[in-house]
Amino acid sequence: MTTLDKQPAKGEGRSKDPWGALLEKVGKSQDRAAYHALFEHFAPQIKYYAISNGLASHAEELVQEVFISIWRRSCLYDWKKAAASTWIFTIARNQRIDMLRKMQRTSAEMAVETEDLWQIPGENEDEPVTSLHRLMSERRIRESLSQLPEEQITVIAKVYMEHKSHQMVADELDIPLGTVKSRVRLALNKLKVILQDQNV
Amino acid sequence: MTRHHPDSLSLMEYSAGNLTEPYALCIRLHLDQCAHCRSRVDTLNSLGAVMMAEQPKVSVSDTSFEQLMSRIDSAPEPVSPIAEAPRMSPLQKLLGDDINDLPWKRQLGDVSVLDITEKFPGQGERVVLQKLVAGGKAPAHTHRGTETTIVLQGAFSDQKGVFNQWDFVVLNEEDEHKPVAVGCEDCITMSVLSAPLKLTGTFTRLLNPFIR
Repeated sequence: MTTLDKQPAKGEGRSKDPWGALLEKVGKSQDRAAYHALFEHFAPQIKYYAISNGLASHAEELVQEVFISIWRRSCLYDWKKAAASTWIFTIARNQRIDMLRKMQRTSAEMAVETEDLWQIPGENEDEPVTSLHRLMSERRIRESLSQLPEEQITVIAKVYMEHKSHQMVADELDIPLGTVKSRVRLALNKLKVILQDQNV
Repeated sequence: MTRHHPDSLSLMEYSAGNLTEPYALCIRLHLDQCAHCRSRVDTLNSLGAVMMAEQPKVSVSDTSFEQLMSRIDSAPEPVSPIAEAPRMSPLQKLLGDDINDLPWKRQLGDVSVLDITEKFPGQGERVVLQKLVAGGKAPAHTHRGTETTIVLQGAFSDQKGVFNQWDFVVLNEEDEHKPVAVGCEDCITMSVLSAPLKLTGTFTRLLNPFIR
């Protein structure tokens, strides 16, 4: 299969998510060409993710761990429950957390595993699927993000890409915590995450 | 049906993977029972994916994919699909099958506590289980620092409302309350205490949310 290039054909499979279709091939038949296409696309993103999270000297290692995890879990992937890139983001996040936990622990004793705390979406969930919502959401988010002011995007990027708490972002940008929070809230409002916060 | 949810900022920190383990556990336990918040986290995870996609890319080393495949091919245990085994809930793993049957320490009147901080080594927060017997009352008290609580069993009420199983409560210095366990079950909560305890007064050894 040499026809797989960077951007798989639109509409491949019923999922309308080309990466999801590739993931399903890996899951169903350990399709190496599909796996390679996913690697080509996502590995450079994950490497940057590792570096920006302060794991520069372990960036290649994190990429490897994420892709081993993708290989092993692809049979559990269900395009109806999560877009492929969302699913892969959560695996990258969990592997980063896992790596940090292992570095920080002297003993291997972990009462709870990373996955007990941070679930990969679409696994062990018996609920009715809201596939349309889930598949639409990345496109909607991308559109909403393009309308946000830079200062809001900056704050969100630091939270997601640099593993920084709201407090750390405030310290780094030298602005009050309240300002950070209000920027995030404005952004999340736009993304319709805020539906019924009680103390806003 | 839970009615008290984590706020969006906490869910975002969860989705980004920035919470300490005890906080993440509180959120996870809530998510397991709350479709509404799961959907919010789905959106936040997608936000994470979009953020990751829109950042710069860094080329991996030329041999990276080969290494990956040779790892997959040479693994003693085949690096093969993992089985879809029914997993124990995180709470079961942590506390066993029956949270009523733990080495509870009776404190005062209707309140028992169990400090489980040691289950989260290196996390810097205190993690405490508390049990208020069915119908029992805790003395009025205030809070120091921020305390995040999830109801694991039963329900309690205070002037802010009724908090049922899997409800999420955040209390801070301004909150004074006098919780009462409602319903026919003992009310059991798990609390994560961000600030070191400052113990004063009569109830020095007692903890939130029922007593501090």
